[in-house]
Amino acid sequence: MDDFPILAATGLKAKVADEDLHILKGVDLTIGPGEIHAVMGPNGSGKSTLAKLVAGHPGYEATGGSLAFQGEDLLEMEPDERAQAGVFMAFQYPVEIPGVSIANFLRTALQARLENGEELDLFDFQEHLMERMELLDMKPSFAERPVNDGFSGGEKKRNEILQMAVLKPTLAVMDETDSGLDIDALKVVARGVNTLKAENPEMSVLLITHYQRILDHVRPDAVHVMFDGRIVETGGPEVALALEAEGYEEYRAAHAA
Amino acid sequence: MASNASADSVREAGVGDPGWLQARREEAWETYNATPMPSTRSEEWRYTDVARMLPLGELTPAFWDCSANGTPSELQEAMERGRAGFAGQVGLVDGSVVAVELDDEAADRGVVLKSLRQAARDGDEGVEALLATEAVPASDGKFPALNAALWSDGVFLRVPRGVVLERPVRLSRWNSQAGTATVTRVLLVAEEASRVSFVDEALSPDLEEGTALAATAVEIFARQGAQVQYVSLQQMGRGGFYLANQRTLAERDSTLDTLNVALGGAVGRVDLNARLLGPGANSDMLGLYFGDDDQHFDFNTSQDHVAPNAHSDLLYKGALDGNARGVFRGIIRVHKGAQGTDAYQTNRNLVLSDRAVATSLPNLEIGADDVRCSHGATVGQLDGEVLFYLMSRGLRREQAERLVVLGFLGEVLSRLPLGDVVQNVTRAIEAKLRHA
Ligand SMILES: Nc1ncnc2c1ncn2[C@@H]1O[C@H](COP(=O)(O)OP(=O)(O)OP(=O)(O)O)[C@@H](O)[C@H]1O
Ligand SMILES: [Mg+2]
Repeated sequence: MDDFPILAATGLKAKVADEDLHILKGVDLTIGPGEIHAVMGPNGSGKSTLAKLVAGHPGYEATGGSLAFQGEDLLEMEPDERAQAGVFMAFQYPVEIPGVSIANFLRTALQARLENGEELDLFDFQEHLMERMELLDMKPSFAERPVNDGFSGGEKKRNEILQMAVLKPTLAVMDETDSGLDIDALKVVARGVNTLKAENPEMSVLLITHYQRILDHVRPDAVHVMFDGRIVETGGPEVALALEAEGYEEYRAAHAA
Repeated sequence: MASNASADSVREAGVGDPGWLQARREEAWETYNATPMPSTRSEEWRYTDVARMLPLGELTPAFWDCSANGTPSELQEAMERGRAGFAGQVGLVDGSVVAVELDDEAADRGVVLKSLRQAARDGDEGVEALLATEAVPASDGKFPALNAALWSDGVFLRVPRGVVLERPVRLSRWNSQAGTATVTRVLLVAEEASRVSFVDEALSPDLEEGTALAATAVEIFARQGAQVQYVSLQQMGRGGFYLANQRTLAERDSTLDTLNVALGGAVGRVDLNARLLGPGANSDMLGLYFGDDDQHFDFNTSQDHVAPNAHSDLLYKGALDGNARGVFRGIIRVHKGAQGTDAYQTNRNLVLSDRAVATSLPNLEIGADDVRCSHGATVGQLDGEVLFYLMSRGLRREQAERLVVLGFLGEVLSRLPLGDVVQNVTRAIEAKLRHA
């Protein structure tokens, strides 16, 4: 297993499941153990589609290439199997689940990871949850609120990070978790990621963002630019700085040509 | 039972009753005979073909010989469950009261809890005046008439003025045999500024070879400033047929809340009429149903705003799996002169299988101009995005579905301050979800 990258997309093509709408047109992306990769790109370039493909959203269908997690074919796995294997996606648009508290939801998620017949220790769980919430500057009462129901945009994003912090994935895909956060919340989220990273240096991160500023707090090993369903450039933090200054004009021009 | 029952059975049913009650039974029997069986041609019975579903003619009156058979162990267990949490309990087997318990403290404060039949014989205050007169009289329809003529027993609960019962009173009913019918009543009177909660559980074993009818008329009076909660938990076994006529009368500044839970039985039909009779009266009306297999649940509710400045808020939520059918028909009636009415009605359904059907018919009838009313109904399916979200955290599909259904129905329970009931119902829903 150690020989395999955490995530390897090779010539990955994907379309919307019931439609002839092709979005990913050959994505190549390899993330090694412990690496943090940022993906930037204009609206509609396919970043969320890539994230959802990694998580196993049934609305998208791979039509070519391959997608592997630690050497295993992700495309053959159900979303819950991927999660249990260590994949986590923080949603760009988290959904509301009325009547289901965060605590209950996370308890069920952890219970689902145990072998048949094994029971989650509720006391340990509660302690773990409270400790994670403290890390993210959250009030304990937050855990009793129904998942995302009536949450502000920022609360939804923090809730994604809380789930990530509780579930401790091997690969965290963060789809614009930094969008819509105020400066303080951004720092809290960054602290969450960095703490998790410190706890488990092997954890890899695929960080989708429009803004350079989060990269000041979470230092990427590589920055990729996605354009029209492909990774068109890969480099270091300087790529993000250049984008911040110049935008995507250069890519648009190249694409049109 | 009813078709081959005769005036003789009415006389038999009334043996030992005071004259006024015997006369009331006879009169009800005449009404019963003069009233046609509801057909699907009537709006209120359109989706429940009761003439076909309920083999009334084949049912015999249930009878439990308590001296010979004692109390059924299942009922004993039901009454044992959370016993300390109740101020009083009544056990009803096949239409006969087999046990009545009341805390000394409650009895000392003048609370009356007894067999309704006994209360009629004892001439307890309020029984003659209120039994099948103002709330569920024979004139209300075929089944109210059947009930008023043939009821075998039931519960009388009277809470005197100013008396507050912190713990609820529970009725546990047990229907033991297929092919039989029980006809029972509840009469609950909460005098001025008193407070009481009443839990009415309907239970039976799984009855494979036919129907067991539990027909009941529930009459509840909340006098000025009283606070009453009535909870019906229908958890009968397979073959159970639950037929309830409930009416609540809320006077000035009283609170009269109800919850109807339907989880068991083959068929459940509840007619609930909430009458808001005094300014400041308030009724929260909750309902929760979860059907699977061939279960059929039909709720027919009405919120009658007779007085001005009263408030009613109805929320019925149901989940339907398998071949189950859910029907909700509700109406808010704002009577002439009921200005300042606040009345809401919401019915939401979650359909979990291709074959399950939910029908929702909310309605408004407004005879005053200064009112705030709203009604809404939805029939939806499990949201694929929600399921994906949950599965992406490692929940298997069934676990994700369970959580969503529990959350959906849980909204109703979260409004109920009776922790013991909430736990009991949650467990029952969970058990049903596991079986699905
Ligand atoms: N289910 C769908 N049905 C139709 N079109 C879709 C669907 N999903 C994605 N698309 C389209 O595919 C393209 C890529 O969408 P995607 O959400 O991956 O973009 P993105 O890079 O995440 O954009 P943003 O930066 O705005 O979040 C868009 O044009 C989008 O409208
Ligand atoms: Mg996106």
